[in-house]
Amino acid sequence: MEKKSIWRSALPLFVFSIIAGLCLGLVYLFAKPSIDKAELNFKLQSIKKVLEDPITGELLVASSEIPDSLKELEELVWRESSEGMLAGYDSLKAKVHSPAYLFRGKKGEEIYVLEGSSVGYGGKVVVLAAFVKVGDDFRLNGIRVTSYSQETPGLGAKIGEEKVMKRFYPVEPEGLRKGLKVNRDANIVPTEDEKKMRYLREHEGIIQTSDVMTGATLTPRAVVNAINAMYRYLKEQEG
Amino acid sequence: MADFRNFTKGFFKENPTYVQALGMCPTLATTTSAVNGLGMGLATLVVLVLSNIVVSVIRKMVPEKTRIPIYIVVIASFVTIVDLLMHAFVYELWRTLGLFIPLIVVNCIILGRAEAFASKNGIVDSFLDGLGMGLGFTGSLVLLGMVRELFGNGTIFGIPVWGKALNIFVMILPPGAYITLGLLAGLFAFIGIKRREASKRKVRT
Repeated sequence: MEKKSIWRSALPLFVFSIIAGLCLGLVYLFAKPSIDKAELNFKLQSIKKVLEDPITGELLVASSEIPDSLKELEELVWRESSEGMLAGYDSLKAKVHSPAYLFRGKKGEEIYVLEGSSVGYGGKVVVLAAFVKVGDDFRLNGIRVTSYSQETPGLGAKIGEEKVMKRFYPVEPEGLRKGLKVNRDANIVPTEDEKKMRYLREHEGIIQTSDVMTGATLTPRAVVNAINAMYRYLKEQEG
Repeated sequence: MADFRNFTKGFFKENPTYVQALGMCPTLATTTSAVNGLGMGLATLVVLVLSNIVVSVIRKMVPEKTRIPIYIVVIASFVTIVDLLMHAFVYELWRTLGLFIPLIVVNCIILGRAEAFASKNGIVDSFLDGLGMGLGFTGSLVLLGMVRELFGNGTIFGIPVWGKALNIFVMILPPGAYITLGLLAGLFAFIGIKRREASKRKVRT
């Protein structure tokens, strides 16, 4: 009697779980190609965005050089690793992801597009960045924060806004060498003077975000760490 | 017979947030702005309606002892399906709402309605109940988000209302969520009492 009632309770649960599992599998198979396509499109758009000149908005590379399929993108791979990661820096809590890409600019300059990540408030913050080679050093041309899904809405998640991301670039080699810092860590009060803000960023590596995303320190710090890690990797490889 | 009151009760009389106090975790976490509240509310609405329908369909096949795990399987499957489909076909929207979607599984409104209503009522009634509760929840979150956004950031739906000088920063932070929620729940209770008194007076005269 006892045994029977256990079966009667457990069997329906078993059957429902199998049906649910099957449904999920089918939906996944059906959605997977579209998910991959959407992710690829987003990546291509982000790459195009970081290759824009931050002042004029013009592309640094000829528009025919911009990849628009996975195959074209794969031809631009500069370094890759089967582990999905090119380098990890414990001191920055940051990683450089694989693959990294190399583009040729309109004037023949080398432009490196890298992806890196660091830990924000709730999880991984992923940054895509383009570095232009200047002499034997690099200039940060542009960044896109491509994943910040664990950051707090209204606080850290503001990192996805255009006006916030613009605070991180361009940075001259001098600023990158000193290592990027958020203004709070550098003990610099936020300024409203655009020129001063720009000077501090480009030459001192001080990124001001405390006025556009009040209350969030961990998220911009993660972005800065990811950029520093990518720069360090580039220097190790090419500098 | 389908009863239209099953649809409207979620708006006020049995409002899930302010009266039933269900689903507090996503309510407090995502209402830093009106848009976030709206997004969370709508995503919950979709899952709530679907799970209410399915739970109502299978209600006679579900054994008493394992009903809760079965409801959870149904709810979690719908949340995952909604997540996958949004990821595939409305990528931009998914990026904005993506962080809320997994939170829907732990929203006890959905399990609460499955247990308290859909498992005892027909499909049409369960559909109406899900829709009404979902809209009530969405409305509550938008209201909460609007108040917090207005006092914390000086905007509503991103449109500036007053200058930055009047901003109370704590409203964006978790304590602000508790304060606002408490005051709004108090307001709802107050209006509820007034209404009951008014209807009593009507009966007397």
